[in-house]
Amino acid sequence: MQTLKTITALMTRSPSLLILLALFGLFPIYTSLADLPFWNDVAMRIMLLGMAAMGLNLVLGFGGMVSFGHAAFIGIGAYCVGISQFCGLDNGWLHILIAVFVCAGLGVLIGFLALRTKGIYFIMITLAFAQMLYFFFVSLELFGGDDGMGVERAEFFIIDLWEPLRLYYLIWSCLLIISIVLMLVINSRFGVVLQGIKDNESRIEAMGLAPLRYKMTAYIISAAICGLAGVLFASWQEYVSPDIMHWSRSGELMIVVVLGGLTYLSGPLIGAIVFFLLEEFLPELLHIIAPDYTENWMIIFGPLLVAVVLFTKGGVMGAFNKLRIMALYRGDAK
Amino acid sequence: MTITLLLEQVFNGIQSGVTLFLVAAGLTLILGIMDLVFLAHGAQVMVGAYTATAITLATNNFYLGILLAIPLTFASGYILEFLIIRHLYKRDHMEQVLATFGLILFFNELTRIGFGPAALFSNLPPSLSGFVYILPDTPYPMFRILVIMVGFAIAVGIYVLVTKTRIGAMVRAGASNADMTAALGVNIHMLRRFVFSVGACLAGIAGMMLAPLTVVEPGMGEPLLILSLVVIIIGGIGSVRGAFIAAVIVGLVDTVGRVFLPELLRSFMEQSAADGAGPALASMMIYILMAVILVFKPTGLFPPKG
Repeated sequence: MQTLKTITALMTRSPSLLILLALFGLFPIYTSLADLPFWNDVAMRIMLLGMAAMGLNLVLGFGGMVSFGHAAFIGIGAYCVGISQFCGLDNGWLHILIAVFVCAGLGVLIGFLALRTKGIYFIMITLAFAQMLYFFFVSLELFGGDDGMGVERAEFFIIDLWEPLRLYYLIWSCLLIISIVLMLVINSRFGVVLQGIKDNESRIEAMGLAPLRYKMTAYIISAAICGLAGVLFASWQEYVSPDIMHWSRSGELMIVVVLGGLTYLSGPLIGAIVFFLLEEFLPELLHIIAPDYTENWMIIFGPLLVAVVLFTKGGVMGAFNKLRIMALYRGDAK
Repeated sequence: MTITLLLEQVFNGIQSGVTLFLVAAGLTLILGIMDLVFLAHGAQVMVGAYTATAITLATNNFYLGILLAIPLTFASGYILEFLIIRHLYKRDHMEQVLATFGLILFFNELTRIGFGPAALFSNLPPSLSGFVYILPDTPYPMFRILVIMVGFAIAVGIYVLVTKTRIGAMVRAGASNADMTAALGVNIHMLRRFVFSVGACLAGIAGMMLAPLTVVEPGMGEPLLILSLVVIIIGGIGSVRGAFIAAVIVGLVDTVGRVFLPELLRSFMEQSAADGAGPALASMMIYILMAVILVFKPTGLFPPKG
């Protein structure tokens, strides 16, 4: 009862996350009424991307550790499904369990080596480990190598929702659970220390706390979350290949987090929505201006990214908050 | 495993090592001096390869291609620094990662629009496509020997420039403390622009030399970028000497490992298992090397003093 109270109290602190979760929860009702089942698929993709980005954001936004290899954990999570099925394990719950444990274990290993370093070295080491895993799976002929391997939608035998929506609500529930977990983590004593490390590591050390332990824990949690996202991603795509752990995917994940807003719990989800909208509508925009170059939408997306870095602070959520504060002050002046 | 094959692979390794060094030298100065995570350095390799190949194809003259491409890549670096990069020095690492990631997307797409998604091919002029006998019965492509020699010459040139000249002193001072160097009257903005353009030019030269050896296609610089990042991490960020030694080590380990590791595994493993694990292990080897080195020396083999 007490925990439930804490959770509800915390939820009111992140209204934007709450609204988004509710919207995603109700979305299939709208698509079934408007007869647009295609959009369920889009919403699932956004939720999966957002989920992984939320995992990354724990280290990136709240811990200040620029990990450039988180796509590897998503890939490992996805391969956990493929390899488990290859070995004859079809139970989806088991896949999730395996993936979370494997990714957490890898998180311990990589974190132990990478967290000894700082700054550029940390960025590059996380990238190197991701590349290592990428090349490992590229050259692993047993599991399809470069071509990847097909995956069947896993059996989650306890959940028996209306068939097409089964996966949708599984993803949504996982997103909900991860949101609650992250909410609790961020607002706990642990979360406060973690954010303190981001601001000033030596101050935390001077207080008699060991920053490494906190950073390590955050890294492991975020690895496990990305592993879970990978499991669901494999089920959604019914296919897994090394491509999802390519280093540019780690970059994409970072873009999603920053677009939405680094220091906000709901930032990654909003970033995923913005990323999807850009990906969807930039080609359409190009189609109007230069019909021949519809496929080359990256030519706008790239500079847009540079512009976001140069001219904005705090992504979409940051801009929104700034507007809100400005409106508040204007209200005071009257 | 014959001595001929081994010798050939060692030469290939050195050749890929010195090419890697050209990319890594610029990058290590950019990272070390300006503290800038510049991921689009691979795009500079692409710029060099494309300009050289395009001019070669248009004029049918390989030497003219190289001759014109060098100042063009220098200019592209200069312009890029002036337009975008100088606004990023004061930003944190993550913002630099994102902005330069955006630049990669832009350059790759621009190349795709300009030259089409298919790869370009250019042939070596007859005067360079011969063979040299490194042992009485071991022919080796002349162009690769030339690449090795040019790479070594540039390495010596950079070493002299950085350690013996006034500009080099300023560059080193800038690497250890940019603010103090500026306070001593060095125009740090011009110094940065110069170093950045030289880095772009070196990466461009690497691209030009790789163009006849590999495919020239959009995104060709990225694998090289990742490799050269590994090189400068192993060598110690900001150290040109470290970059050179690490580049040759990585080039050798990568090239020789790919050929001999599967064979080595086969000698004490089952055939099928060795065939599966060999290539996997070979492509991971340099990353394993990097991880091992960093466990013992977290700032690389030759961290710059200060």
